[in-house]
Amino acid sequence: MPGATLSPWTMSYFAAACLFLIAGESAMVGGYGYPFAAVEAPATLALVHVVAIGWLGLLMTGALLQFVPVLVAAPLRAGRLALPALALLIPGLLLLVGGFTALGGAQGVSTAMLPSGALLLAMGFGLAIIMLAATLLTVRPLPLPARFVAVGLGALIAAVLVGGAFTLVLSGTVTNYAAIALLLKGVPLHAALGLAGWLTFSAIGVSYRLLPMFMLAPDDTRPTNRAVLWTGAAALAIVVAGIVSIAVDSDGMEEAGSVAALLAVFAALLYSADVLRLFRERRRKIVELNIRASYAAFAALFASVVMFALPATRAAAGEGAAALVYLFVFGWLTGLGLAQLYKIVPFLTWLECYGPVLGRTAVPSIQDLVEDKRASLWFFVYYLAVIAATFSLFAECPGAFRVATLAQLCATVGLMVELVRARTLSSVAAPLRLPAGASRPHLFLPISRPQE
Amino acid sequence: MTVETHHPAPREFDVRPILRSGGEPFQAIMEAVNGLRPGQALRLLAPFRPQPLFKVMEGRGFSHETQEMQGGDWEVLFTPKAAGAPVEVSADADNPDSWPDPIENLDLTELDPPEPMVRILAAAERLQPGEVLFALLSREPIFLFPELSKRGHQWAGNFDETRTTFRIFVRVGDKG
Repeated sequence: MPGATLSPWTMSYFAAACLFLIAGESAMVGGYGYPFAAVEAPATLALVHVVAIGWLGLLMTGALLQFVPVLVAAPLRAGRLALPALALLIPGLLLLVGGFTALGGAQGVSTAMLPSGALLLAMGFGLAIIMLAATLLTVRPLPLPARFVAVGLGALIAAVLVGGAFTLVLSGTVTNYAAIALLLKGVPLHAALGLAGWLTFSAIGVSYRLLPMFMLAPDDTRPTNRAVLWTGAAALAIVVAGIVSIAVDSDGMEEAGSVAALLAVFAALLYSADVLRLFRERRRKIVELNIRASYAAFAALFASVVMFALPATRAAAGEGAAALVYLFVFGWLTGLGLAQLYKIVPFLTWLECYGPVLGRTAVPSIQDLVEDKRASLWFFVYYLAVIAATFSLFAECPGAFRVATLAQLCATVGLMVELVRARTLSSVAAPLRLPAGASRPHLFLPISRPQE
Repeated sequence: MTVETHHPAPREFDVRPILRSGGEPFQAIMEAVNGLRPGQALRLLAPFRPQPLFKVMEGRGFSHETQEMQGGDWEVLFTPKAAGAPVEVSADADNPDSWPDPIENLDLTELDPPEPMVRILAAAERLQPGEVLFALLSREPIFLFPELSKRGHQWAGNFDETRTTFRIFVRVGDKG
């Protein structure tokens, strides 16, 4: 039967993701990782994975469990794997981070935690991929937004495999030449697969469906949508080819990196044009806060990709173009993630709580679950802080970076409080809060009401 | 899941009385078109060959066959082209063709989500078991479907030929 039901464990994924984001930002405020350590230092690696897997990976997985069924208008397959996947991912990440700190000389941890963490992560993401891929496979032909997710899942598999190979070398389990070469040269490619392949592709795919839904804009497939898919996928294919060429020790992929970057710029330009067109063609004149905050994230995507492609700005961005990676991760991916959470959490909460009594009694509107005025201030502070942090990385000014990330952390916590208030219905006026028959949502656990 | 393979009988609409009384039938015709079941044809009876309507109906995805009747009146059969989106039905929808005509018609195309969902569920509460309501929406109501099923209502719906309007019939169930 068509239709989408509530994904029971999505809120648990979101809650864990938010905690990892706060942990990651707190670590930066505390001077942990880059720019206080080298880009390749164990502390930086630990921090990067807390943000990339703990925050962004869990957020995206939880969101896809809810929205892939919306993309393909079919129910989620094998949904019972959602909780085991989460139960593998969290300890997997903690082991991985423990392994990185062991590399940095921390006591009480061991580098053997790296491959075991990677194994748990591979199993956890494997279960998630089984659920999502099985759901995608039920629909033919696959709608375009779902194709982006399919490519994203492919990139996730590649990123996990390459990362797993790294952990085998770092822990000393494998000393084979190809694996060592992969670790020495392949780290940027691993990052590209994860951040640009898995997270960005999936986010773009979901946005092509959700933006028209939220703004009431036409959601017919345009040639530019397809061009974004193909140019982006071509860039990813070059990245994968680069990894293979390192592993088999062949030359000739050195130049390909700039081709991939060029393709990525082209895809980002087309995507920016698409989201602007959706905005212009929207039928809903009110522009909600989550949409405004999402467009700030699109601007960050555009700016970071263009500056990455320009040799001058890329060189100025520090080791490994750190300032631009920061803008990409916190401006684009995190900004979009927070903006969408601000829409999705109240909506899912509203549906979970008031769904059973809709049409039978008066219920609050979704907007009543949140306080837009406060939240818009937090979003404003958040983006301002991200811009300031990016500039401070360009200017190689770690002190300013800490101040900026402190502001960013405060804004993030502020937004999390808004989400918790939405979950607990704290902003809803008491008479409307819990009409008879409505079910009070738990903070992050599913209600044990039978889900169809 | 029950999927209807045959099409429901054409709906007949006679504009001759409207024209005789000096009325303008266009709006009434469009309402009749909006009320068609997915896949259902419209048989129009008119005192002249309604040439301007052909273009309009073409745009809505209908082909036409005309036939002059005795007395100079015309019969036009507007048949939806196969290109219309396939009809989706709830798991328990037994033969939507046999459902009675809707007693409530809702045009929810101008409402922001989730208001259409609330209106449809509220309308279903007002109806008696077995009665049918019809609604037009600007989006496929994917979160409404499970809620209807949970309440024991059956539904059948699809996008119109232009893919801009979703049409849904809901038959109120006993548990409702």
